[in-house]
Parts: sequence; C-alpha cells; structure tokens
Amino acid sequence: MTDVGAEEAAIGQLREAFTVCVAAGTTGVLQVTGDPGGAILFDRGHVIAVQTSGAPSPEVLLLRSKLVPESEWNAAFAAAAATGAPMSAELISRQLVGAGELEALLLAALADAVFVIASGTVDEYRAEPGLPDCELALEPGAEAAWLVAEASRRIRVLAAETSGHDRWIVAASGAVRPGVMLGGGQDEILALADGRRTARDIAFVLGRGVYATMLQLDRMRQAGLLSTVSSRPVTDADGGERGRGAADGESDVAPGLPRRRQDRPSALRRPWAQGRASELRPPFSLLRPRSAWDGGGDQAP
Amino acid sequence: MPGLTEALHQVMAIEGARAVALIDIATGMVVRSVGEAAGEDGDFPAAAASLAGEARIACAMPGPERTGGDLDEISLVTANRLQVSKILGSRPGGGCLLFVDLDRSRVNIALASLQIGQLAPAVLG
Repeated sequence: MTDVGAEEAAIGQLREAFTVCVAAGTTGVLQVTGDPGGAILFDRGHVIAVQTSGAPSPEVLLLRSKLVPESEWNAAFAAAAATGAPMSAELISRQLVGAGELEALLLAALADAVFVIASGTVDEYRAEPGLPDCELALEPGAEAAWLVAEASRRIRVLAAETSGHDRWIVAASGAVRPGVMLGGGQDEILALADGRRTARDIAFVLGRGVYATMLQLDRMRQAGLLSTVSSRPVTDADGGERGRGAADGESDVAPGLPRRRQDRPSALRRPWAQGRASELRPPFSLLRPRSAWDGGGDQAP
Repeated sequence: MPGLTEALHQVMAIEGARAVALIDIATGMVVRSVGEAAGEDGDFPAAAASLAGEARIACAMPGPERTGGDLDEISLVTANRLQVSKILGSRPGGGCLLFVDLDRSRVNIALASLQIGQLAPAVLG
C-alpha cells in the first residue's frame, strides 16, 4: 500500500471536495487531478457517475463480465442513440439486465472508482459547471458522504488484511493443474496471472471491481495460489516457478493500488530501452496506435 | 421500474422483519438498506462485510463441482433473532446477499424463509 499518511491525505481532500459540492448542491463535474485522479459527476449534490482510468466503468463491468453480450450492447446503444432514451432504460427494457441489478452495479462501480481515487494521490480539485454525456449514470445519485465512508472502510480493510500489494501477479508453481477446477472465479484469475498484469489489469479484463479483485488476489495469495513480484518475472525455460523477478529499480516505489504500466517512470516501464534513447527516433514513437497509449495494457480500455 | 429501496421495502413487509439490506458479496458493501440495519448495532457496514465473508466461504464449501447445487441461503438463528441471507446472482466474483433480520418471537422460521425466497428474485429484477 501507499504510505498511510498519503492515503489519509487523499481521502481527506476528497472528503473536503465532496462536502463543498454537497453543500452547494452542485450540478457539474468535480475534476480531481492526481494519480489516478478522475472526474466525479454531481447532480444536485449527489454523485451520479465517476470516470477514472483506475477503475472499470459500468460499461466495462457489464461487457467484460459477459453479463451483457457485446452485440446486444451495441444494439441497445444504437436504439438509445436513435430515440434519445437513456442507455440504462434501454438495457432494462431489453431485459439484458434487471433494474435492481443495474442499480446495484452502478453503485458498486461508483464506490470502486471513489475508492481508487481516494487510495491514490490528489494534487488538486476543481468543480466545473455542466454535465458531460454519460451513458450509465445512477439516478438518483449516491450520497457523497456514503461513498467517502465506503472508500475509507475499504482502505482500512486493505491496510489490515494485506501485506502490501506489489505490481505483478504471478501464479504459484503448481497452482494450475490440467483438468482441475478451483471455481469461484479463481481459475480465470490464475489464467491471467502471468506476471505481466496488476490487480487493476485483471479487474479490467474480468469486468470486476478493483477492490473486489484485490481482496480475491489476497485470499488466493494466502492460499498459496499466487505470488506478487515487484518487477517483471523471469520465466524458467524448463517450466519451473514463474515470477520472482528481481526487484531492481522498484524497491523505492511505494507499493499501493495497482497502476497501469504507463503510469510508471519510463525507465521502469522499459528497462530494455535504457541507454537507447538516442536510437529511438521521434517518428518511431508516433507509429504506436493510440489505443496503446492510454489503455493500461493490452486489455484495459 | 421500482428502485432497489422500494424492493427492499416490500421485503420489510414480511411479519417480524426488522431490517433488510442488499450486500455485495465480493466487497462486503451495503448496497442499500432499509429498517433498523444501520441503527442498533452501530457498525452495520462492518457486520455486512463479515456476512459477505461468511457467504464467500460458504459458497466455496461445495467445491467446484457443486454436486449439491449452488448455495441458496444462510440462516442464523439466535434466541431472539432470525437472520436470513439469500444469495442473489451467482456470477464469479459477483452476486449479492439479501439480508433480512427478523424478530424470532414474531415469525415462523420456515414461513419466513419461504416468503423471503418468493420476494428475492424481484429485488434485482
């Protein structure tokens, strides 16, 4: 985890910002600059949506979890765009998701996003009038104080129950056995625990909340199914234990919430490129597709 | 479409119900609650997180094969209370608990469980 003081500072600033927005009955966007930061949408003092790169959006939760098939989502989206109806109403009327289930999912997504922002760093915040378009907003919105309290609870739980979250998640040797199912979503996680993904990455791929994923990873680690390494692990050629990468260059990085590789200093992201800067011509970098700039890895949006 | 809170109020209509809450199993978060859930015991969010933890363990007990089927309900009976936690949804890493706290002196345990089971599908529907 990040150091406790920084966490308390972040959630303290968020609480302060929320209090101001609630008192003013704000309808607009609270822009939070930081790591990961985000945009918190208020409607008459209530939180209706949160956009952050640190946590999956409701759309990601619905699609990646396979709760709503992508083709059905696209059809609903087209219909909603044509009629001007809210996307949530379209999903419900097509019986792709129950009204209560969607409300629960939207609340869970809000709580997860606020938790992620509160667990990071908050450099500054400012409220801006006007609400941007939001496909899936919670109506009526959630109480801001409740969201901060829930984020605080989650931070306390992680501080008490985890021994620190390093970056990369690696399946323990022998955890994956052909033909043996563990159930409870553990098999999907083990399949992704290749040492190149963080808890955040896994949450995005599976369409689950970051906090829920961190809890499950911690349980699996306690059961000896997973381990974490603070740098990219080295895979044995003979199929031996994967992971256990050297912690070089990472020891001074405060462990905390899983972060995108893009958020890390470039020297840590691309250790192979050190000393090669002069070889990389500018046009070379421009050839990278935009999707590779801001997606948090191959799977995250 | 009725909201979650309205759906929980319908469960509250069961004779002897003191509180009803929807709890996210994966995180232990109280999604919505009505009744006395947040009052008497002080720290209901912590209690809800414990309930969710128990549900996660209980869900895992049948093993991956689940020859007896998925977990359906957890009942806790004390001298004065009946607490029923109904599992709603069974997605990996997902699902919710419909938690109902009842006054034992005012309920028939079997009947209460039956009534909760009948109302539960409508909560997320």
